[in-house]
Amino acid sequence: MQLVINTLLRFRNSILYLILLGISLLFLSNKSDFHQYKLEKYGLYLSGGIYNFFSDISDYFDLKKVNLRLSKENSTLKFLELKSQALPLYKDKIIKAGRFPFQVKTVKIIKNSFQNQRNYLILDQGSKIGIRPEMAVISSQGILGIVKSVSEHYSSIISVLHLDLKINVRLKNKSAFGSLVWKGKDPKKFSLEDIILSSDVKVGDTLITGGMSSYFPLGIPVGQISKVETSSENGYFKISVELFKDPSQVNYAYVIENQDIEELKKLKLGVSQ
Amino acid sequence: MNSYILKTVVFFLSLVVLQVFIFNHINFLGGINPMLYLLFLINFRFDQDQTFFILLGFLLGFSIDLLSQTGGAHTIAALSISFLRPFIIRYSFGVIAETPKSFQSSPKTLNRLVFLFFTISIHHLIYFIFVYFSWDALSLILKNTFLSSIFSLILVILINSLYRTKQ
Repeated sequence: MQLVINTLLRFRNSILYLILLGISLLFLSNKSDFHQYKLEKYGLYLSGGIYNFFSDISDYFDLKKVNLRLSKENSTLKFLELKSQALPLYKDKIIKAGRFPFQVKTVKIIKNSFQNQRNYLILDQGSKIGIRPEMAVISSQGILGIVKSVSEHYSSIISVLHLDLKINVRLKNKSAFGSLVWKGKDPKKFSLEDIILSSDVKVGDTLITGGMSSYFPLGIPVGQISKVETSSENGYFKISVELFKDPSQVNYAYVIENQDIEELKKLKLGVSQ
Repeated sequence: MNSYILKTVVFFLSLVVLQVFIFNHINFLGGINPMLYLLFLINFRFDQDQTFFILLGFLLGFSIDLLSQTGGAHTIAALSISFLRPFIIRYSFGVIAETPKSFQSSPKTLNRLVFLFFTISIHHLIYFIFVYFSWDALSLILKNTFLSSIFSLILVILINSLYRTKQ
């Protein structure tokens, strides 16, 4: 005890200095937003490191659970994949079963924003495992977005929660195509646009990806129609869609590579010329 | 001793007032302001208790920050310099601080200059670092430190020599 007091007395100047320095920094940050922002940034840097450490530890102890869940997810995905390969949607025998040009890679989402009007995701894998721009990203129960840019170990994704992104979808039981657009508020609430209205649309109809964009393969379940309103003035339908899975609540994703994309691009180029 | 305390208090207050209302508005060559409140931290007796001195330095910077509506840069700079003063003294005079106060009246000129130079430039450097608070402004910080330090140094030397001749 005596030792502690002696040490305290010996270093009283340094201690006093540090305390007063802390007070002045507090004062500084209260007075100026700029300094507050800067100090918060350094604070975040520190606390981020600490949180990362603890999250690493808890991740480690959750590994078994995570692995189990992952393998479960993988198996359902594989099942879906196989199902989509032999999808009964191809009623006529125009496309022969057996060739399915899409490949799947498992990735982890490390940042998922959903509060803005134009949201982005960041994945923990990049060009090293073969992710390239314009690949599709799906979760175990629905779609997530399209790869925008790629670095060696990370890639950024335009989320489906992005007002400018339109996704080609169709009804599961009828071949009526439309575009899925986010409404901008609730991450599960979308609206269906550009749909050809010769077909009757009912609440509860399931929507799947349309396979026309060459990003997403045909037949990934996306969501179901939650509301159909006829607006009396112009005769158009207002169709609301609810996703099966909230895209903001996803931790793992699958990147889908269309191996035919170069071929398709060449073809499109040839058509436009 | 009592007259010394009174003198110190008057010196302190007048420096705060002068700094806030006059020296902060000189804007020489577009924006260089001398920081003459450093006179207090420079001329404070070397043989006093340092804990007390740190508190005074904090108070000095704090009152200037409060009155001139600036952030906490003056406080941090003045506080740091009052904390660092024994080291600067030791470095520039080559002796420990607890020498008799008669020492102050007849120091070697070069030693005294070194002491002034270090005190002022370190203070200004800390001050401008906290004003800009960004590594991108490093060149601006160094430039401002350099120019303002020269300005302050000249004024401090002038005022100190005047003060001494009066005595």
